[in-house]
Amino acid sequence: MTKQFFAPLAIVTALACAALVGVNVAQAHHAFSAEFDGKSPVLLRGKVSKVEWINPHAWVHLMAAGPDGQVREWMVEGGTPNTLLRSGIDRNTLKPGTEIVVRGYQSKDKSCAPVCKANGRDVAFPDGRKVFMGSSGTGAPKDGSDPNDK
Amino acid sequence: MIREFLVWLQDQWGKGAGDTAQSWSQQLLGSLNLWGLVEGTHLLSLMLFAGTILFVDLRLIGATFQRTPVSVLSRRILPMTVFGFGFMVITGAALFFAKPLFYYHNIWFRAKLIFLALALVNIVIFHLRAHRNQQVWDLLPKPPTETRILAAISLASWLLVIILGRFMAYSWFDCGKPIPHWVNLVQECKTSEHGAVDASAMAAIGGTGS
Repeated sequence: MTKQFFAPLAIVTALACAALVGVNVAQAHHAFSAEFDGKSPVLLRGKVSKVEWINPHAWVHLMAAGPDGQVREWMVEGGTPNTLLRSGIDRNTLKPGTEIVVRGYQSKDKSCAPVCKANGRDVAFPDGRKVFMGSSGTGAPKDGSDPNDK
Repeated sequence: MIREFLVWLQDQWGKGAGDTAQSWSQQLLGSLNLWGLVEGTHLLSLMLFAGTILFVDLRLIGATFQRTPVSVLSRRILPMTVFGFGFMVITGAALFFAKPLFYYHNIWFRAKLIFLALALVNIVIFHLRAHRNQQVWDLLPKPPTETRILAAISLASWLLVIILGRFMAYSWFDCGKPIPHWVNLVQECKTSEHGAVDASAMAAIGGTGS
């Protein structure tokens, strides 16, 4: 291979690698501690009202009692639609009306305006199935919910 | 008027019939692989672009490669910069297309566009002024002051474009949250679907519970 072909080839290879790393980039979209409070764990029990299946984070909406006992709308951040699908969460398992229990951490901003926000760690379904719903490698507390934590 | 167009772009364009039909924008945002691929490519091409323009700008400032003629360095490096720029613009446009209204009402994005415009205008000025007599200073370790200033503006504005772009991932100032009045104005939150909530007004009515 001549020298002049090396640079373009290296560039094209690097860009092709995007196919492989793209999903991982999206998973580590932002650091946990920038928006969520690792010292404010929440346990939310309620019926799913809506799920936004969007990148880079899906959002699960539910009416649930917060730490103060007041029932409000919560939106819980999950992984990408892709990571959720691979861990067994999709449009059919998380239909509106499904009763779920979510473990997670509330946002640093606790004003609950317009709705309360949390980072989801795992979600339990009516059949007892418990699935990790977050993203790995964001710096969230190592609480045992992420099977990829070492 | 811009906002109406973006509403159509986000919610209507490419939408088929049926209750669950989604527009092309919504399909991209909800895609399993495409969005991540586009974002990954945006970041990688950005690295190629910024990494190479860094060398050219530092040479023009007179900080590095002082014994290499500017024309030699440009000929070797600028094609890679242009290549990266092309991918960066295409993927950037696609990422905007996936969430146009979010970015429209986003203070980081608006600031990013300002510095992006500054960087592009700077390129035009460089070509109209400094580039014309390049043979005079091509071999100089330190190009003329005007050239060095234009290179410094280029470097600073691209760095700001990248930093501001990075902050778009954080939702501290999203419309609908209690945020300072001036941020609501800058983001035109009043016209957003989440509305404008002034932090000072929230504090005046005695906080927000919990």
